[in-house]
Amino acid sequence: MDHSGARPIWAFLTGPYALFLLVLLLVPFANIALYSLHPYSPTKVFLPELTFDNYRKIFDLYYVRLFGRTLRLGLITTAASVVLGYPLAYWLARARPRWQAAGLFLLIMPLMVSAVIRVFGWIVILGRKGLVNQALVTLGLEPVKLLYSETAVVIGLVNIFVPFMVLPVMAAIERISPSLEEAAQNLGASWYQMFRGVILPLSLPGLISGCLLVYSLSISAFVTPALMGNPRERMVGQQIYDEVLVSFNWPGAASLSLTLVLITAALIFGALFATRHAGRQAKGL
Amino acid sequence: MSARSPRLLGPFVIATYLGLLAPLVVVIAVSLGPSAVFEFPPRGLTLHWFEAFFASPAFVTAFFRVSLLVGLLAATLATVLGTSAALGLVRFRFFGREALETFFLAPLLVPEILLGAALYLFYARLAVQASIWTLLCGHLVICTPYVIRSVTAGLVGLDPRLEEAAMSLGATRVQAFFKVTLPLLRSSLVSGAIFAFIISFSDINLALFLSGPQSTSLPVHIFSQIQWQGDPTIAAASSMQIVVIGLLILVVQRIFRLRLVV
Amino acid sequence: MPPSIELQVSGLTKRYSPQVSVGPISFEVQEGEFFSLLGPSGCGKTTTLRCIAGFEALSEGSINLHGERLDDKPPHRRDVGLVFQNYALFPHLTVFDNIAFGLRLRRLGKAEIADRVGRVLQLVDLAGMAARFPAQLSGGQQQRVAIARSLVLEPRILMFDEPLSNLDLKLRIQMREELRNLQRRLGKTSIYVTHDQTEALALSDRIAVLSHGRIEQIGTPAEIYERPASAFVAEFIGGSNMLRGRIVERGDAGTIVATKTGLRLRCRPELEGKLETGEVSILLRPERIHVQGPGGNALPGQNRMTARIADITYLGEDLHLSLDLAGGERLRASVKNANAARGWTPMQSVELLVDTADLRILRR
Repeated sequence: MDHSGARPIWAFLTGPYALFLLVLLLVPFANIALYSLHPYSPTKVFLPELTFDNYRKIFDLYYVRLFGRTLRLGLITTAASVVLGYPLAYWLARARPRWQAAGLFLLIMPLMVSAVIRVFGWIVILGRKGLVNQALVTLGLEPVKLLYSETAVVIGLVNIFVPFMVLPVMAAIERISPSLEEAAQNLGASWYQMFRGVILPLSLPGLISGCLLVYSLSISAFVTPALMGNPRERMVGQQIYDEVLVSFNWPGAASLSLTLVLITAALIFGALFATRHAGRQAKGL
Repeated sequence: MSARSPRLLGPFVIATYLGLLAPLVVVIAVSLGPSAVFEFPPRGLTLHWFEAFFASPAFVTAFFRVSLLVGLLAATLATVLGTSAALGLVRFRFFGREALETFFLAPLLVPEILLGAALYLFYARLAVQASIWTLLCGHLVICTPYVIRSVTAGLVGLDPRLEEAAMSLGATRVQAFFKVTLPLLRSSLVSGAIFAFIISFSDINLALFLSGPQSTSLPVHIFSQIQWQGDPTIAAASSMQIVVIGLLILVVQRIFRLRLVV
Repeated sequence: MPPSIELQVSGLTKRYSPQVSVGPISFEVQEGEFFSLLGPSGCGKTTTLRCIAGFEALSEGSINLHGERLDDKPPHRRDVGLVFQNYALFPHLTVFDNIAFGLRLRRLGKAEIADRVGRVLQLVDLAGMAARFPAQLSGGQQQRVAIARSLVLEPRILMFDEPLSNLDLKLRIQMREELRNLQRRLGKTSIYVTHDQTEALALSDRIAVLSHGRIEQIGTPAEIYERPASAFVAEFIGGSNMLRGRIVERGDAGTIVATKTGLRLRCRPELEGKLETGEVSILLRPERIHVQGPGGNALPGQNRMTARIADITYLGEDLHLSLDLAGGERLRASVKNANAARGWTPMQSVELLVDTADLRILRR
């Protein structure tokens, strides 16, 4: 049904939510932008003048290290997710329906459980008296400090975000006809050669989607680094939380947030561009 | 199965799944064990921590009065908002439709922690106190896109001529919608609603910013308990959430294609 | 020197479940032969093909290629080329790269690869298309690339999985002829899977007809058509009329079969020993019925029946007649649209003459 007539019913249908988002998404972010341009005041939170100081301070050593660490951990997390996620995605894509349903359930279910709970589980596993150390002690070895380190944070982040890598890659692999795999093998390719020559190039758009998702989720993570990381080596999310709710440095928090938004937006555009290019290559156009 | 997979794939996949599920298994095991120190494997089976959970006013309020309530409200409202939005997007052609669709799904791309901070600052500027309602509004922003995705997927698979057929038999547009389209969308609606509930129920990033003294959600309470070195009551609370969400996901999987919503 | 056996399939069995299985299937393909596996969907022909290619494991039996055991090798180490039904061209590679795929895996030099690809492109008449992508080619061209891609590796045998089924009729006939010429020119042992009996008859040196996971008959096209071994084969290949009756007399001049409706037909004398019961089916091909006006002449030994034309289907070159016999049987006859036939009309009485040799007795 094509309704381009006088009564814009579509406006009535989409209006409410559009309005809602306007008020609760766009306005708050505009608000943040505004805050980021006021100087910070420990007593009054912010002063009415306008300044770029909040953005300038991002180039201080502390913040440079902060962002550097965050972006680096995000990269490591993404790389680890690719390594763990690709084989899983392939298995799921080619699995028989019953196995695929079970596999998807086991993949998505933890995703939906609050991140706090999964982190709690890891704390029990990696803690000083946790599983791993208990096992080491019974083997006669010394307990190892695993928590409150970058390694622990990466483990936690990978654990939580791997499904976001698996799902788009799985969807991409499913679109590759199994007969292409068979043709490659028939022409003499071992499974690994087939994977590199056929699956990888043709599932590239899915891989890019997955990387984008995992990376942007990792760099904005809060709960995992807050509970599992070294309190002296924070990630950006923790810094924002601290500046909003603890030190009430709202201007500072605002500038950090917007910087993060810009980075995320740049990633999205980069990924979109890369996906379209990869997609065109895959079709040979 | 067509092409032969390498022999290592199976074990690798199993190992990955074990790694993914390990924390959840551990949490459930700890919640059933008698020790006050987190111990695994637990020495015995007891429901002691679950009793402690129900005996703790903070936990009970967080679970039932806040998380459950907000979740149900969010699910209902998100379904109404989202279904209406999806209908407008799928069934009509208008200038800027694709841009609007991207806008509607934008909350999925915004880092949650930033949204939480933005909403907190927004409420602060308007001098609005933190309450269930501020939390609910925040949740609606992130839950509705899931409903929109689910209902859009369902609508796209629905033949619009069915409504036209109903109208040719005498139904008005509204009647046709309620008698023909809506029943056929049932599985999309239900799974969208369930997803909205789950997203709201398990949200931590928004709730950290939007929780108030009377409106502390379960995940936030668990978070503070972990920070303050609580006892395995945390595990009991977590287990309950795992079970609730696990069952809901199973339901969705039965009636709808899971991956279309995530 | 007699041609050597290139492929030997012995007792091939594939069990999917206690109820569903294919086999045991046994056959041999000679060097340079064009061998078809023909049958309706679900008959096991594709399973057999995939077992030879290595994408399905045998539950029982063995496959030998040129004397060597084949079925214990992984699919990428078998010297067997496979042309897929949907061509399975790599969409992200050019025609050249598609064809060079297997050569590159064998680590041949650039110059040699370019040379071999160039030659095979000439062979399939696609010179100049090397830089195109599959998406830019027509169905027929894609198919030729698929063939070239397998051919360039010079496998011992080339297998085709219903390669023409995605093409429209005219193109199918054209590609069919090209395929046959190509195979004859190269002398490449070929196995061809299809459900289209016209294709099988036109292309093959020998055909194996399959049904429900078993081979019904193996033979040349003429053998399969003229001397089908069972009712299934008779009805699957070509048109057929099947009558039922009982053997009442056996002799050198022919075997007399009587039907329930009172016909006595003299059929081709049985050569394959005695049938257990006297209950048999008789096969009569539609084009072997001579239809003429009543009161004509018959040769000695010919069977003669009267019939009424129930319906005429006009097919331009041919006429398909539906004939009702006195006893109630309905026969289909195919005659050329020429001479007396042009004037026939429904409800007309005609006489049918059938040679003894054209009535073939089959097991019931």
